[in-house]
Amino acid sequence: MSVTYLKGGRVIDPVNNTDEIKDLYFENGKIIKFSQEDSTKKVKEVNVEDKIVLPGLVDLRSHLKNISGGQAENISTGTKAAAAGGYTTILLMPDIYPRADNPGTIQYIQDRILKHASIKVLLCGCLTKEAEGKTLAPLGSLKENGVVAISDSPSTTQNNQIFSKGVEYASMFKLPVIEIPRDYSLSDKGTAHDGPLALKLGLGGYPRIAEELFVQRAISISKSVDTNIHLSSISSYGSVEMIKEAKKRDVKITADVTGHHLNLSERSINDYNPNFKTTPPIREEKDRIALINGLKDGTIDSVCTAHQPFQEHEKNVEFDLAPAGVTGFETTLSICFETLVKKNSFSWSKLINIMSTNPSTILGQKKEQLAIGSNANITIFDPKLVWYYDKQNRKSEATNSPYKNRKFIGKIINTFFKGKEIYTFK
Amino acid sequence: MSKWNRKHLIGIEELTTGEIKRILKLAKVFKKGIDGDPVRTDYLKGKRIVNLFMEPSTRTRIAFEIAAKSLQADVISVAEQSSSLTKGETLRDTAMNIQALGADAIVLRHSSPGSPLFLSRIVDVPIVNAGDGAHEHPSQALLDLYTLQERWGNLDGKKITILGDILFSRVARSNFWALSKMGAQVTFAGPSTLVPKQFESMGARVCHDLKDGLEDADAVMLLRIQHERQSSSHFPSLSEYTNIFGLNKDRKGWLKEGALILHPGPVNRGIELDSELTDSSQSVILEQVANGIAVRMAILCLCTNPGSLSNL
Repeated sequence: MSVTYLKGGRVIDPVNNTDEIKDLYFENGKIIKFSQEDSTKKVKEVNVEDKIVLPGLVDLRSHLKNISGGQAENISTGTKAAAAGGYTTILLMPDIYPRADNPGTIQYIQDRILKHASIKVLLCGCLTKEAEGKTLAPLGSLKENGVVAISDSPSTTQNNQIFSKGVEYASMFKLPVIEIPRDYSLSDKGTAHDGPLALKLGLGGYPRIAEELFVQRAISISKSVDTNIHLSSISSYGSVEMIKEAKKRDVKITADVTGHHLNLSERSINDYNPNFKTTPPIREEKDRIALINGLKDGTIDSVCTAHQPFQEHEKNVEFDLAPAGVTGFETTLSICFETLVKKNSFSWSKLINIMSTNPSTILGQKKEQLAIGSNANITIFDPKLVWYYDKQNRKSEATNSPYKNRKFIGKIINTFFKGKEIYTFK
Repeated sequence: MSKWNRKHLIGIEELTTGEIKRILKLAKVFKKGIDGDPVRTDYLKGKRIVNLFMEPSTRTRIAFEIAAKSLQADVISVAEQSSSLTKGETLRDTAMNIQALGADAIVLRHSSPGSPLFLSRIVDVPIVNAGDGAHEHPSQALLDLYTLQERWGNLDGKKITILGDILFSRVARSNFWALSKMGAQVTFAGPSTLVPKQFESMGARVCHDLKDGLEDADAVMLLRIQHERQSSSHFPSLSEYTNIFGLNKDRKGWLKEGALILHPGPVNRGIELDSELTDSSQSVILEQVANGIAVRMAILCLCTNPGSLSNL
């Protein structure tokens, strides 16, 4: 096997405090120290001048629906789409068929991953059986079979007793619990942000307090049990304030936000397009600004894709009857580049912290880095490439993206997983 | 007066004042016909109008039927219970089938807000919104406007209070757009849980005190309390509503003399409106119903013949 030579790229590696133009070499899946003058090995040169060389991204929340196919996305198509967005690790949420709530199913899923995944797929197990919020799932046995986190996402355990005991029990196994904070009693008919626009459109409101009450619940339980709870898809400015305060008091709370919540406006549902229907809903501008500022000051740790594929016919219905959720693997980095780096002066190192390093830490995984000896999980971004997220460029089987046919500047052009090129932009 | 170039009637919000006036003017012509004047009415001859009603309706469905028949159309009414939607067919597929069967227009009543807009992007035929969830009910607002205009001539500076369950009401929303576009001032009144302050962002005045809501009004439009759409947390009980917000004989004194009483129906007598007041001389409730036919004739006529009919 030859040595791959990434020539002249801007290498971003926050774990090693690196942001500089330099060459990278890798061989047999590992980044190596190499000198062409001292070696007779065959070298495959890839010119990446003016490109940005990044450690593989890590997604904290991906939904693939059905691992065996026949649905909008499966392990094979899903991981290919993730690679096209720069991800080399994703956390697969348990809302798949069959549900990841027992050891047998976990083994089955692991087997499918082994056969079909082109990147690393970490597993999240259910907190409660069938994610119904009634009986705890066998968390210890799930961990023995390889799950690295626990969640009922995209559902939310409503019962406080079950949730707090579940968190306490998970802490014994050092399993982080991931929750989308949502009080159903305040949002059961809510399909849009409870604001003037939903009122005008006649859509049921999903208010900020439906999220904030459960953010407070998570903070209180995390503090009382002294364990990690990760809040996924924060959407309200009030939640950002509460998490900021909790972190000041050293409560072990972490949080993420989706790329689309950083970028879209609540106005996007003005013509009832279900491809903009998300859980939680896209809120107002002051929320969006607070989310960006929360990322900037470290209140929010990460950006996730919340990739949730649906078949075209599932979304092509009346807005209130359509399922909530959008795809995000292939667009989140480009969105973050535009929204955070270009418009809000985030450094590339900061962006990689929130899209790779911090998610790894939250999941208790080794951080992705570009040091000698590390796995060659590398992705290359062309900041000038103009592209459209259209049928030709889309790798995901699902079409429920809010960015359908949108123009972007900046794209992942290559992704390597353990040295193997698994995505090339053509 | 602007021309009518729309194929669909989805909501009042997007209409210009000129377009609203266009409908009302044509409705006036048809009203004369209903009253016995010789008026040409064969504009929909040979056309097939499908009333696709996915929610219960009496007045609106019948008025659309009569309106279409008065224009010599063939009318087919489909109710949810008798449609394939009960067999799991989606609205999209049902509508495409109806189009394939040769419909020239679809009148849609549906519980999902936005469903007429959704259909208008799928099928080629005109879609007339006959009520979509809590979003809009344009034909109702237009007939209310027609009724008030018939009484007052014009609505400039008039104050109209819409009282009751505004949150779940498509009639309130459509009427807000219609009345304010025609120069009237609209107040939404009722309990705070059903009349959220956020309605002010649309431009309406919001008030939670019945007396305050009534005393200035030139007309008051009462809405039915829609038990079927609310959870029990919006207000305690119907009797509590009647006690605090019901319009009864005693409170009639809070109204200006001659103030009109409107109601889109169905009226829950004795709950939001006292039975006697329902039948009083101030009440224009039955005029509203009768005007509904002429207004809907105008709507069907314009949507199926956009750009023409300029002679009417």
